[in-house]
Amino acid sequence: MNLTEEEIRKITFDVLSELGDKATPEKVKEFVNKRIESTEGGDIKLTLGDVSSGRVILTSFGLNHPGIVAGVTKALGDNNCDILDLSQKILGDFFTMIMVIDISSSDKDLKEIQDEMSKIALEMKIKIYLQHEDVFRFMHRI
Amino acid sequence: MPYEFEEILETIRMTEIEHFDIRTVTMGISLRDCHDRNIEVTKQKIYDKILLFGKNHVKLAKEVEAQYGISIANKRISVTPISIPFDACSTEEFIEIAKTLDKAAEEIGIDYIAGFSAMVQKGMTNGEHELIKAIPFALSETKRVCSSVNIASTKAGINIDAVNMMSEVIKLTAEKTKDHDSIGCAKLVVFANAVEDNPFVAGAFHGISEPEIVLNVGISGPGVVLEAIREAGQVDLQQLSEVIKKTIFKITRAGELIGRKVAEKNGIAFGIVDISLAPTPSEGDSIADILKAMGVQDVGAPGTTAALAMLNDSVKKAGLMASSSVGGMSGAFIPVSEDMGMIRAVQAGNLSLEKLEAMTAVCSVGLDMIAVPGDTPATTIAGIIADEAAIGIINDKTTAVRIIPAYGKKIGDFVDYGGLLGKAPIMEVRNLSCADFVGRGGRIPAPMRSLTN
Repeated sequence: MNLTEEEIRKITFDVLSELGDKATPEKVKEFVNKRIESTEGGDIKLTLGDVSSGRVILTSFGLNHPGIVAGVTKALGDNNCDILDLSQKILGDFFTMIMVIDISSSDKDLKEIQDEMSKIALEMKIKIYLQHEDVFRFMHRI
Repeated sequence: MPYEFEEILETIRMTEIEHFDIRTVTMGISLRDCHDRNIEVTKQKIYDKILLFGKNHVKLAKEVEAQYGISIANKRISVTPISIPFDACSTEEFIEIAKTLDKAAEEIGIDYIAGFSAMVQKGMTNGEHELIKAIPFALSETKRVCSSVNIASTKAGINIDAVNMMSEVIKLTAEKTKDHDSIGCAKLVVFANAVEDNPFVAGAFHGISEPEIVLNVGISGPGVVLEAIREAGQVDLQQLSEVIKKTIFKITRAGELIGRKVAEKNGIAFGIVDISLAPTPSEGDSIADILKAMGVQDVGAPGTTAALAMLNDSVKKAGLMASSSVGGMSGAFIPVSEDMGMIRAVQAGNLSLEKLEAMTAVCSVGLDMIAVPGDTPATTIAGIIADEAAIGIINDKTTAVRIIPAYGKKIGDFVDYGGLLGKAPIMEVRNLSCADFVGRGGRIPAPMRSLTN
């Protein structure tokens, strides 16, 4: 990660005011470098463990009948959720659909969307689960 | 699709069908700065501090549950062993502190708060002596407080004087809570080599080398492991170990994710993931069923100890690979009352106290939730504790005894607590005395660590 000049200037001023009378060019340089290092380390840690995206995995299944895909996708569209990927299988009488959706453009949070979708699930007599992508990433990717 | 169809369905199956959940997120809070010479001020400081950090604990954990679709069974709090910061207190004052902890837990909306504890493996301070005397009253006069006492360690040996005292405390606790099947004893653990970052109540406490505030997680997934073993079918034991490891790896990863997110939301440090397989009384969420699926006819059959040893070892190996923050007990729990398969094995006469004791030599954590006749002498209970502690100190592992001498009950009866504590059939204890042995008092010296045969 690269810091902008503006950020480095700010760090330098902070260090200067902290050091006060004890400030020498060498000391300032040393402290600023240290601070930049720790900021970068901190930021890297943040990206690793971050809930980085608004990506949510939607899984739905139940007895197959017409209108399931339409019902689910309409509800998602109404809530401004972006469908990034979709995969669907029919096993015997059972219908299974998995979607990767992005909820970052929706004005609702995950909990509210889950509530909306559980209404649809009840109407269509299917199960719908929405889980943040991270849980799949942690369990299935090293 | 960034994930395979099967991968996603596997996760859904684990969380929705096979009881995979996070057993507990436990917030550890240091109370070392809460002492005051005025007990009323002390109580207020304790209450304020627990509320300051814990008041949103339940709410935030529920948010994480919803976000990841993994339920968190218990939200709990552990505190510094009460005897350490409040060593100057009297028995009456310790009971008052227990009531304060209870009130704080009620206010936060959690079912248990743990840490009414003392570490007396080598000797006892006056304060620790007073605290231990207060335990039967604290446990009978509060609902949510859990207590533990460490009476042995590999470095110090076994403090038999403390063992004797604890056996009397257990008996008195049973009597004082006799109207509720001696439930007080279900909240009291006697430890050897207690760990400082254990998130599992009743034995949890916030150890003295822990930071100010920390969040620890205990995962649970016997149902998931059971299903994986059943699915694997007739494979050899090396392949079976692989199956167990793959499953544990996944649930440990999920556990760490949940723990970190709850800690992040609380704005506090994340501590450890305890990878112990912890059963619940739900059907299918049982360690006993895993052992049976591995191939023993019932728990207690010859081969049980070997099967359990392999299970426990596989759990550890996979957990350590999955997370750099493994801690706590991290093994497999074999509580009787909390595991339907264990209950059935005891009822069928297949599982005895002696076999259970052998099993504890290869797994965490010890004789857990064992109900015995109410007229079992205190000296016999002391003998059982000393035996278990001996296994712990010689093998350099944590062992514990959570025994319920159910007041007024005999073999054939049950204690029934409902919920996660479950129900336990009264088990037979050998009618042979060790009174003269434990009656000698003193301390069993620390064991040697070489020539370990």
